[in-house]
Amino acid sequence: MLLSNRQPRKRHSVLVPVREFSGFALPGLFLYGLLVLVPIGWTVVLGFTDRNRFAPDTSWVGLDQFRRLLEDDQFWLVLRNTFVVTAIVVVVPNVLGLAIALLLDRDTLLYRLLRSVFFTPVILSGIVVSVIWQSMLRPDGVLNKVFGDVGWLSDPGIALYSISGILCWQMLGFCVVVYLAGLNGVPKELHEAAIVDGAGWWRRFRSVTWPMIASAVTINTVMLLISGFKVYEHVLVLTNGGPGRNTTASIAFDVIEKGVRGDRIGFAAAEATIMLCIIVALSGLVLRLLQRREVHL
Amino acid sequence: MKVVRPIAAIALAALFFFPVYVVVTGMLKPVKDIQSSPLGLPAPPTGANLDAVLGREDGLYWSALINSVQITVLSVLALTLLSAMLAHYLVRSTARWTRPALLMLLAGLMIPPAVILQPVTQVLGAVGLMNSVVGVVCANVAYYLPFGVFVFSGFIGTVPIEMEEAASIDGASRFRLFWQVVFPTLRPAAASVMIFLGVWVWNDFLTPLIVLGPEAGTTVTVGVYRSVGEYSTNFGTLYAFSFLASLPVLLFFVALQKQFVAGLTTGAVK
Repeated sequence: MLLSNRQPRKRHSVLVPVREFSGFALPGLFLYGLLVLVPIGWTVVLGFTDRNRFAPDTSWVGLDQFRRLLEDDQFWLVLRNTFVVTAIVVVVPNVLGLAIALLLDRDTLLYRLLRSVFFTPVILSGIVVSVIWQSMLRPDGVLNKVFGDVGWLSDPGIALYSISGILCWQMLGFCVVVYLAGLNGVPKELHEAAIVDGAGWWRRFRSVTWPMIASAVTINTVMLLISGFKVYEHVLVLTNGGPGRNTTASIAFDVIEKGVRGDRIGFAAAEATIMLCIIVALSGLVLRLLQRREVHL
Repeated sequence: MKVVRPIAAIALAALFFFPVYVVVTGMLKPVKDIQSSPLGLPAPPTGANLDAVLGREDGLYWSALINSVQITVLSVLALTLLSAMLAHYLVRSTARWTRPALLMLLAGLMIPPAVILQPVTQVLGAVGLMNSVVGVVCANVAYYLPFGVFVFSGFIGTVPIEMEEAASIDGASRFRLFWQVVFPTLRPAAASVMIFLGVWVWNDFLTPLIVLGPEAGTTVTVGVYRSVGEYSTNFGTLYAFSFLASLPVLLFFVALQKQFVAGLTTGAVK
């Protein structure tokens, strides 16, 4: 009893001298610093310059790039596109994933098999998924044999939603598996007690299941938020930003295009900096909001 | 209700799986059949599309496969070792800076590759690692390190420290202590780290595309992208390439399915 009641110990350096360990941390920290932290700093700094691969010198331009960015219609367009995709990707696989997890929440061979069916797209690369869907969404593709003549990827009013839908298809299985794990963690006794108290299916879901799977909701929402916000490969393969100018371009797509072309590196860096600020702020906010309602037994 | 559940589940799964069906049957059909009857079974199945990819004049599939295997194996091994060592230090150390360091690493989980891509190529260029497999491995290790540290640090917190103290009293060196006492207890966490990173690194597109460049060949994922234009209307071959590029990862998934789900459960929900 005495043993089990003691405080978790962190101060144990009498027995395990820390200094000798630090060598173990160095290789990882070194690579992370060199190839993640330094590049982040570099991007932020470049955003305050007029760097251009084809001009010999680079000079400091202060906030000019940011000002120009905020006045650029194309920037607002790609930002809007990114938010549309992110919003759809955060909501749809989350809701459908929970519904399917509830449907598959049985431990027999059939349901285990179906779980793998839903999980398969999660382990395919975005490129392969996009190639598959592109062939099906062509004007003469399989889907139009059923739907007639829909411009899935060629109608500017539809293409962005096609891309979002494909991303949802790919992420759905992840949500299903995380929700199944969450459902698995709900103690049976709680459901039994609720049944004894006369609670119906909806009441039990609302008052027992839902609060108990809060951490699964958090994981799925944050994961979907990050994946939706950085969407790139799907845009590249499916529409290459079109039809027309930037109708489906995401912010990641825009930053990479500008960076590869190389004529406006400073401008692209400013855009990347804004992208980083938005995703850090958004995921921080969502994490904070969702973790507040998590219960721990 | 007893009958409704399995029927609804099977119907939904079948609808969901439709694109995979189109690819797998499509790659076994001649091109004209893919256009005329995309839904039909391949009768009789033909291996011509698979042969066309495997027997390409330039050997693209095979050279890409070698690159993918090298990059994935080296990245995953390095990531598992380095993130386990780093996480162990950050969790066990009493130094004041480890807490902020851990938070800073975990924040790395949300950095979009697009933000750092340009400077990463500059850094790799400066140390002479552009257009090389080693360069891609270094970029991968740095980028995915936060995930490894995230899983390992959560797990190390649940391993009792007494064992390490005992080994320490018995006079084990730091090195032996880590490899013979600590690392074996981390095996479940190591399994999920290796599984997830294996799939992610295999499927990676942007880093191998830019860092390897056209000079040093491609990975299979980049190979699929490069061959889209070439096979523009020849869907049978494109499907065959997509299938062959995903096959290693699919086999990996089938073999390790249980650990996959277990990893997602312990790593994510706990």
